[in-house]
Amino acid sequence: MNYEIHYLTEYSYSDAVTDNLNALRVHPATTSSQRCDEFHVRLEPEARLQRHVDYYGTQVLEFGIAKPHDHLTIDVRARVVTSEPKQAPEADWDALLSESYIEVAGEFLLPLGDEPVALNHQLVDDVRGATPLATVHNLANIIADRFRYEPGATYVGSTVDDFLNAGAGVCQDFAHLGVVLLRRNGIAARYVSGYLFSTGAEQDDAAESVEVQTHAWVEALLPGDAENPEPVWVGIDPTNRKLAGETHVKIGHGRRYSDVPPTKGVYFGSAGAELTVAVTMTRLDAATSART
Amino acid sequence: MLSRIAQELFWLGRNVARAEHTARMLDGVFQASLQSAADSSRSGSAAVRLDWESIVAIMGAESESGNGSADVLRRMTLDQTEPASLISCVGRAREGARTVRDVVSAEMWEAINTTHLTLAESDVPGRFSMGPYSVFQYVRERSALFWGLTSRTMLRDEANAFLIAGGRIESADMVLRMLRVAMPAPEAVEGEAVADASLQDGQAQALLHAVGGFQAFRRAVPSPAHAGPVARFLLYERNYPDSVAASVDALHRALNNADDSPRRSEPVLRLSRLGADLDFRGRGASTDANLAETCELVQSELTLIDKDISERYFAGAMPAAGLVMA
Amino acid sequence: MAYGPELGGPFDEVFAPGAEPHPHTVSLARELAALGPQALAEAGHRRDAIFVQQGITFDASGEAGPVRDRPFPLDLVPRILPASEWDHIERGLAQRITALNRFIDDVYHEREIVRAGLVPWQLIVSRSHFARAVHGIRPPGGVYCHVAGCDLVKDSDGSWKVLEDNVRTPSGISYVLENRVAMTRLVPQFFRDYHVRPVDQYPQILAAALRAAAPSAEDEATIVVWTPGSMNSAYFEHSFIARQMGVELVEASDLVVRDDVVYMRTTAGLRRVHAIYRRLDDDFIDPLEFRPDSLLGVPGLIRAYRAGTVAIANAVGTGVADDKAIYHYVPEMIKFYLGEEPILDNVQTYLMADPKQLEYALSRRNELVFKPTNESGGKGVCIGPRTSSEALDSLAAVIRSKPEDWIAQELVNLSTVPTAGPDGVLAPRHVDLRPFAVFGETIKIVPGGLTRVAMVEGSMIVNSSQGGGSKDTWVLEEQDDAPLTTEALSSRVMSPTMPNLRYGSEWHGQQQQQQQQSPTARVDQTAATDLAAGSDDELPPQRQAFPTDGGLA
Repeated sequence: MNYEIHYLTEYSYSDAVTDNLNALRVHPATTSSQRCDEFHVRLEPEARLQRHVDYYGTQVLEFGIAKPHDHLTIDVRARVVTSEPKQAPEADWDALLSESYIEVAGEFLLPLGDEPVALNHQLVDDVRGATPLATVHNLANIIADRFRYEPGATYVGSTVDDFLNAGAGVCQDFAHLGVVLLRRNGIAARYVSGYLFSTGAEQDDAAESVEVQTHAWVEALLPGDAENPEPVWVGIDPTNRKLAGETHVKIGHGRRYSDVPPTKGVYFGSAGAELTVAVTMTRLDAATSART
Repeated sequence: MLSRIAQELFWLGRNVARAEHTARMLDGVFQASLQSAADSSRSGSAAVRLDWESIVAIMGAESESGNGSADVLRRMTLDQTEPASLISCVGRAREGARTVRDVVSAEMWEAINTTHLTLAESDVPGRFSMGPYSVFQYVRERSALFWGLTSRTMLRDEANAFLIAGGRIESADMVLRMLRVAMPAPEAVEGEAVADASLQDGQAQALLHAVGGFQAFRRAVPSPAHAGPVARFLLYERNYPDSVAASVDALHRALNNADDSPRRSEPVLRLSRLGADLDFRGRGASTDANLAETCELVQSELTLIDKDISERYFAGAMPAAGLVMA
Repeated sequence: MAYGPELGGPFDEVFAPGAEPHPHTVSLARELAALGPQALAEAGHRRDAIFVQQGITFDASGEAGPVRDRPFPLDLVPRILPASEWDHIERGLAQRITALNRFIDDVYHEREIVRAGLVPWQLIVSRSHFARAVHGIRPPGGVYCHVAGCDLVKDSDGSWKVLEDNVRTPSGISYVLENRVAMTRLVPQFFRDYHVRPVDQYPQILAAALRAAAPSAEDEATIVVWTPGSMNSAYFEHSFIARQMGVELVEASDLVVRDDVVYMRTTAGLRRVHAIYRRLDDDFIDPLEFRPDSLLGVPGLIRAYRAGTVAIANAVGTGVADDKAIYHYVPEMIKFYLGEEPILDNVQTYLMADPKQLEYALSRRNELVFKPTNESGGKGVCIGPRTSSEALDSLAAVIRSKPEDWIAQELVNLSTVPTAGPDGVLAPRHVDLRPFAVFGETIKIVPGGLTRVAMVEGSMIVNSSQGGGSKDTWVLEEQDDAPLTTEALSSRVMSPTMPNLRYGSEWHGQQQQQQQQSPTARVDQTAATDLAAGSDDELPPQRQAFPTDGGLA
């Protein structure tokens, strides 16, 4: 798939602010099934952009605006080519104990230090399937079955416990819970931030351009099969009951949201801020169905 | 020097000066209140009004209706929950001094620290109810000790300049506040007859006592202590150290010393203009008509100067207020 | 003198069993005897009066609630280390700190020690002080631990062991300097026959190390000391160090980052800062990188650090080497990075994350010391022999639920030094030692360090909040190591001078605010600052002059 992504963030401050420092994690990643061809950022007020790659391999763009200003526009445009990922490998549970698996899994097998207390073991067990791959498929369905997608039920800083107690949340919460459930089953898992091209049910499947939001899903590390023994990271989108495919454009991953927030900033001043975000994705190639 | 330290020193000066003026003012009003019942019924609208209500207004405290004068007196002196009280001023001064302990002399720190500790002693409320004078006198003396130690033991550097600047801007501000609240309303002074009426006004003396300038006034000014001459004295008399003009001059000198390039410094330039203006007005002012207006004008200039000082020297003393993740 | 260490008991550093002094402590023993308990007690009263007057006090928690404004507990009997012994310690520490520094660099770059299979990667990344934000950043000169304060103990066989490594923001150096000045004033006669190496060069050494790290021409570097604020319990030390180095003591609000460069706000505008000696933990230095819930710190600082425009000491991320589980591997690191045998040994440590070691340690839980790995200052430490079996059982359950957060250690029978009681009578008390090392172009270690002493008989709790004190620590010049002959003694006794006395200029210092505890904020200031934030490795001189290094017990 060929997409053009337009990610527009606008802050409006009730009074002038200064020393507005921001870090953006919005650049589409380069993976085996994804390539970013063009990428531009326009800032208003203008500022110099600094780039670096963080610990998790995500490209980070940073800038600071020192002089007083009462608005900030971050206008990001990218062109991305995606392809359907390879078939996820099937292996049995024992493969999770191999040294090579544990080495690749690294810290994504470890508890996060803020493990949910409201999580009942039944849920962990329900997700567990006959194989790790079956578990991944179960996960995609079970979270979507048992939790409602409801913007406003949680907020950006909500924990997995908040989500479990509310019974509803957004993709960020679905992904956080997915990571916990996989790890509890011994499968290395990480949180993924990105964009999703999704035409709602009421829209025409062939729509060229859609208003979306930044999205979050999960990647699970599945042990390789006999043909290709290397473990593989497989994307799962528990919000949409499916594995991640060519409609998913990955930005980066981490242990949790706070490792890959699309924007993060601090400014100086006593003014409040109003935020509007618009993400538009346009499909550039022939309008074949993106759904899998 | 660091902006934060300069600002801390500036506010240390302000708080010490505010404590001293608060003590003088409460003392003056307390003394006047003991004998003022007859006066206030007689003197009408042109009289100098310096009563408990004015005190609350001058100090910018919340007015609590229905409470007696004894209560106001106690609240403005020893109530730690009242930000404008004497004890709160001393407490803030002491906290500020603690932050800049390495900058001021050890004696200055001890002077302010001991004052704070003494006021916090358990028998102070008892002593206060027996005779408020002893408490007011103590604070006045300790404040004098602090400024004396400042001039004798502190290096005359930039830090010193900001401390002095704070003390002086606060002094000028407090005297102006007192004048504005205590002075007769402008429309009432316009007629000669009304001005005559104020001749008998005993409360102008209370004002002088409150500022601490009674003796100086007596020696410097031949006319009786009625509202007009007293106000002119407190505004324009450069030879009286606590007059507004003298404070403005001292503030000007202090910033002139502290600033790297005073000729391009907004607060220094503004102070220079204000000093000249006060000089001009002082020489021309024989009537009381424009006194209230002058007070208002000087005070608004001081507000601007205070803002200029903050911007030029203390820039960025605000906290970071916003963190956004989306 | 009734003082007599027992055979087979802890090592006494002044008297050998049988109450004979060691060769290098003969003169001290004689001076103590000549002075007598009464005069020693009187000197103690003078010390207390001076300390209270100058505000060198601290607050402690007593049985009947907090005790405030206690004079800082300096025991007047010095602890003496012969030159040869110090030489051993110095070489051992330099070796250890070099290895720790290499380890930190390795962890954030090549991970060679992980690939060699010596330290598990999962252990490293699970340390709470592992700093992902500085992955791939190499500070100038490759120095991370500019200031290190390893805690050492002397075992009953007289050997020195490392108890823990403090490479975040170790504190206590101000007391080392203050103690020495106090001793020269209060008991000058003790110095008479010794050549004691000075300690007051520390601020110059530190300043030189910071200048060496600063990305600027040597003489142009602007250095600052960064304190969490005057409400921080170690504020006294922060201002002491800044004053001694003659640099600004800044708080977060004084610093601002513009275009990847750090500046401080001064009355004459912004001024560039090249090196920051920070006395607060990573978590509180940059809200953009750490602790998303916190607005403390200087936004963009890590950005500037990454751009190489500012040096931060200690470097960001050193906490990964300041962890009790990592401590276990330090001897391995020394062999791996330096190809040398460790000069100073660890105390035998068991990793609870290892099931075998866990079972072994728990089966001996009434003999061992249990410590949480990510804490410092003695928080959460449990000493087996001094804990009821019920409490040990519940501790065992806690450890089993999160074994990776715990270690166990053999109990060390700390050495003792004669210590004066309130009546001036000497009795043996347990001590430890925290030397301070500064890593600039080379590693320099101030001779001696902070000796902490448990003031209660038999106790190994050396933190002053629980009645612990400190001692001036003397490292002798080599000529003092040899036992003195009677002739040499008498000639020295007559000596009218006191060699090597140094009078600090800071004795009449600004320490008084330490005893003040009013949290009243100035209402005129809008800044809402969280002054409580800070390092958990601070030695708090105020509420608690030393951390509960219960590991010593």
